[in-house]
Amino acid sequence: MVMDAPNPSSSAASSFLANLPSRGHFSSTVVSSNPGGMRAYICDHDTSPPEGQHIKTNQQNILIRSLTLKKQRGDSSSKDGSDGSRKRNAEKVLERSSAKKTNNQINSRQEGSNSQTATRDLHNLTVERLRALLKAKGLSTKGKKASFQSSYSFNIHAFGRYRSLICLIVFCLLHTSQCSGCQLVYYCP
Amino acid sequence: MSIWNYVVTAHKPTNVTHSCVGNFTSPQDLNLIIAKCTRIEIHLLSPQGLQPMLDVPIYGRIATLELFRPHGEAQDYLFIATERYKFCVLQWDSETAELVTRAMGDVSDRIGRPTDNGQIGIIDPDCRLIGLHLYDGLFKVIPFDNKGQLKEAFNIRLEELQVLDIKFLYGCSKPTIVVLYQDNKDARHVKTYEVALKDKDFVEGPWSQNNLDNGADLLIPVPPPLCGVLIIGEETIVYCSANAFKAIPIRPSITKAYGRVDPDGSRYLLGDHTGLLSLLVITHEKEKVTGLKIEPLGETSIASTISYLDNAFVYIGSSYGDSQLIKLNLQPDAKGSYVEVLERYVNLGPIVDFCVVDLERQGQGQVVTCSGAYKDGSLRVVRNGIGINEQASVELQGIKGMWSLRSSTDDPFDTFLVVSFISETRILAMNLEDELEETEIEGFCSQVQTLFCHDAVHNQLVQVTSNSVRLVSSTTRELRNEWFAPSGYSVNVATANATQVLLATGGGHLVYLEIGDGILHEVKHAQLEYEISCLDINPIGENPNHSHLAAVGMWTDISVRVFSLPDLNLVTKEHLGGEIIPRSVLLCAFEGISYLLCALGDGHLLNFMLNTNTGELTDRKKVSLGTQPITLRTFSSKNTTHVFAASDRPTVIYSSNKKLLYSNVNLKEVSHMCPFNSAAFPDSLAIAKEGELTIGTIDDIQKLHIRSIPLGEHARRICHQEQSRTFAICSLKYNPTGGEDSEMHFVRLLDDQTFEFISTYSLDTYEYGCFIISCSFSDDNNVYYCVGTAYVLPEENEPTKGRILVFTVEDGKLQLIAEKETKGAVYCLNAFNGKLLAAINQKIQLYKWVLRDDGTHELQSECGHHGHILALYVQTRGDFIVVGDLMKSISLLIYKHEEGAIEERARDYNANWMSAVEILDDDIYLGAENNFNLFTVRKNSEGATDEERGRLEVVGEYHLGEFINRFRHGSLVMRLPDSDVGQIPTVIFGTINGVIGVIASLPHEQYVFLEKLQSNLRKVIKGVGGLSHEQWRSFNNEKKTVEARNFLDGDLIESFLDLNRSRMDEISKAMDVSVEELCKRVEELTRLH
Repeated sequence: MVMDAPNPSSSAASSFLANLPSRGHFSSTVVSSNPGGMRAYICDHDTSPPEGQHIKTNQQNILIRSLTLKKQRGDSSSKDGSDGSRKRNAEKVLERSSAKKTNNQINSRQEGSNSQTATRDLHNLTVERLRALLKAKGLSTKGKKASFQSSYSFNIHAFGRYRSLICLIVFCLLHTSQCSGCQLVYYCP
Repeated sequence: MSIWNYVVTAHKPTNVTHSCVGNFTSPQDLNLIIAKCTRIEIHLLSPQGLQPMLDVPIYGRIATLELFRPHGEAQDYLFIATERYKFCVLQWDSETAELVTRAMGDVSDRIGRPTDNGQIGIIDPDCRLIGLHLYDGLFKVIPFDNKGQLKEAFNIRLEELQVLDIKFLYGCSKPTIVVLYQDNKDARHVKTYEVALKDKDFVEGPWSQNNLDNGADLLIPVPPPLCGVLIIGEETIVYCSANAFKAIPIRPSITKAYGRVDPDGSRYLLGDHTGLLSLLVITHEKEKVTGLKIEPLGETSIASTISYLDNAFVYIGSSYGDSQLIKLNLQPDAKGSYVEVLERYVNLGPIVDFCVVDLERQGQGQVVTCSGAYKDGSLRVVRNGIGINEQASVELQGIKGMWSLRSSTDDPFDTFLVVSFISETRILAMNLEDELEETEIEGFCSQVQTLFCHDAVHNQLVQVTSNSVRLVSSTTRELRNEWFAPSGYSVNVATANATQVLLATGGGHLVYLEIGDGILHEVKHAQLEYEISCLDINPIGENPNHSHLAAVGMWTDISVRVFSLPDLNLVTKEHLGGEIIPRSVLLCAFEGISYLLCALGDGHLLNFMLNTNTGELTDRKKVSLGTQPITLRTFSSKNTTHVFAASDRPTVIYSSNKKLLYSNVNLKEVSHMCPFNSAAFPDSLAIAKEGELTIGTIDDIQKLHIRSIPLGEHARRICHQEQSRTFAICSLKYNPTGGEDSEMHFVRLLDDQTFEFISTYSLDTYEYGCFIISCSFSDDNNVYYCVGTAYVLPEENEPTKGRILVFTVEDGKLQLIAEKETKGAVYCLNAFNGKLLAAINQKIQLYKWVLRDDGTHELQSECGHHGHILALYVQTRGDFIVVGDLMKSISLLIYKHEEGAIEERARDYNANWMSAVEILDDDIYLGAENNFNLFTVRKNSEGATDEERGRLEVVGEYHLGEFINRFRHGSLVMRLPDSDVGQIPTVIFGTINGVIGVIASLPHEQYVFLEKLQSNLRKVIKGVGGLSHEQWRSFNNEKKTVEARNFLDGDLIESFLDLNRSRMDEISKAMDVSVEELCKRVEELTRLH
């Protein structure tokens, strides 16, 4: 391959190449990379790992593990709503799809997590608009703007989880590993 | 050949897949660690450059290699994960110089679809966890506890199915990964996740970025203070973090590797698919990224890994060409390049094809490989043994001995070459015209045979003849003193160094003389009980002119004895056993270890370790070098002493890793050798062979010699034609600036000595050269090159058109004689019963060579056989045709002459995806498949039913861990018909990683013996990182994993020779075979390659 001829940017490369890090190696003028032969390693000592360091994978099904963990924690934090806004998309597919609509035109801009975007979008809505949304979902329209937003989010989470469980059951039966709708992967336990 | 096969590596893998730099061997040492698929190499950075330290075999194909520093540790640990889902964490123990296993485990899951884009293994920069992406939709976490110990691994569901890259982000309070993935509309995005270790789940990360460059393929996490990630695409580079986004366009390229330059991550080296190295700079102010800049630096090999070492030195690891050590210069050279290549490390990979030839017609095979890819394509000539490059030669019959002498003691060069014959001695010297001409040393007796000559102190020369020892001045060349043998006795053997002479006369008299200034003193005389057959007093102690030990070989009791000097007291006596007398003894020292070598009259060589203080002989080993008596002599090459064993199979004995190695010399029969270091022929050897005296220089002392012929294009097939002394290759040249259709395909003719292109035939647009053979046809004496091609059209899934081209070589030019269009790609061609057998897509087709009325020839279809998915590899033997199918393993066809038909006889019903096949013998066929396994199948002619006869029985299975592209019958070493290993048939193979290996078919008795040795060695030689050898060699594909059978791992067996004595004893006890016998049998095997 032919290099481009020196061009004005070549001086830029020189300046970028200045002050390359050095820790004192390769400082001698004689750079010989093969002063000695390479010894082939023969391992005749015991190579089993120290006790407890023979690592295996937890065999519990991911979903069951997640449910157990949640149960142990009394499922309190997820009801809280504030933690819920940091949950992953899988559990709020609907929310993502609604967020996507607003994001589609501005995909290349820096965006926060989808849930954050959704919350932010809710923030932008007027009380009237939020009321209309809640009405459409058959929810109470009483209270302040902040509480409208949290109950809206919560219901979407609930629906998202419900949908995940459906996927699990359906795909266990079908022995299929992937849900084309939400792109989740489940494996039969 | 047989079903009991021995697989051994002749050339280790050289394809560099990973590299990293860190403090591994001690907190002060900076190391470069290189992974070459199944081996890792540890180098030490020093002011003088890279010092190789250790070459470590790993029982697995390395998928990821990472250095990391657990909390509270002063030096780095090495994390290795293998493609078969094993991992280990290694630590270097500098006290014992051993690799210690800190942790290991199996990270496979029972269910899961292996990732398409390769395995990913990453370590959190704050050492909180190891992350692995091994199966689609799953991210495996191995957490660290606060003491740096690993805990039970668990999987987290990962929504993204087509993951392209995952990296940990720096500077995050919780471990955070960034995932580059492709959605089902083929758009690419990145997304971040925090790993919640307690919940064992992901939490949405701080940011994401949608719709990136469609070619985005690589993530580079940026360390603090900047943090964030660089996303490298084909047309843009993007910097992305929670609060910044910068993008720059780049010229279209595919970035294959990156290396971080500065610890703060402001500069990176990027290597692209064309081998262009660029510098990517993140400009920043007050820890805020302000922009990106990219500058091309120059050309290197196509990089698979880049490691910035130190002080502007960079290691470029390559899979497609030689790896390099480069220096980045501040100022560009004349071509505008800032890159200076300082060192190239040979890489044979990928070996796409090769052939075995005997170019020098010496009975020794050489392998010529099609190596490298793209612009780094080359041919490599791989030769075993050490070459003598002839400088001058004269015809001289009947040489009985040779010695070189200097004209004064402090002259650095030799002047005289004393050549002894049965009844005279001639002296040759370099004249002023640098020619060798006959001269005289007046003080020497030239009418008789000389038994020994040597330079002596005080500018003197010593000549020993059968009746006297003469001391001659080297300046005046006059006789100064003479010692006469007692009357009635004649001197039989003699030896000398600069101050001492030891000789033996008939009747077992041993006489020791010392050389003074103009005087010979008879110091001691001893009477031994038998005749003396050979002597040596080569100084191996601190004084280079004086020895305090003498080695003596005896007739009658067949012993070798060590005497002390000057008192001639017997120190040690060692019976050699057997009935063959010692013919040559030699005291020598290699790498600080003293040895006594003793060569017997039947071509065997015994070596002992010699304790120079006590004279004690230990560690006796015996090897067979040839069949004729051996003469031993030391010589120097590159300031290191080696031993030349002259015999019917001349051998150089040298030491590496404190182990004696034997490398054959590419000469047929050498009777005598002496070093001859003259001004005109520095560092040369004088060699007496077959009525000829040759002066030549010697190659570097190493086992395999590789000559590179860079082509600048990618050679895909090669074959040799003995008659025209040419090679022909199918090659393709990429034009990186020409867009999509910029490949050009050629058939090229090369001279087999100079390797220059002498003729080229350009193939059509879209036409690929698929196969080439040299063959002849019945009723035609000419030899042709036949080329099979395929038209690979962009819109077709499988080629539907191809050609068979028949060329002859006329006046060094390729002449197209005939061509035949085919209905598909011609994947393979074979000369078959005077006809041409072609594999065309699903079909095997036989063509006959027909003479037309106008005197020209054409290929005419005779018969064919359908029934393959794609018949890719075909071998023939007699009327049998063995086909390796794309996915249907091996099948056996037969050509029926009377019916003019090809029929299937048997097949292997396994679904192996083949990569190469070979016929071992009438009944046994060898196959290699794409899960890196080897297997053998056997034809079952004696089966009772048609069903049984129609089934090829799998008789051998083995996991090689290498992707084989080609088998060829042949050998890399000179095969003597009367030596033990000469009877063992071998097949050579070449692989993607640049491995050249040998498969040797052993007799059953030997196989059983070695299998026992292998199982004993498994108990002593442990897998690095606790990986099991048995599991590593077990045959493994998607469907099954079964123990290896009927294949032996020669690499493991031959490492027996590297064990220390106590380990050898352990194995010897378990085997109930002496260490000497074990060494001999294993050493014989090492001579297969």
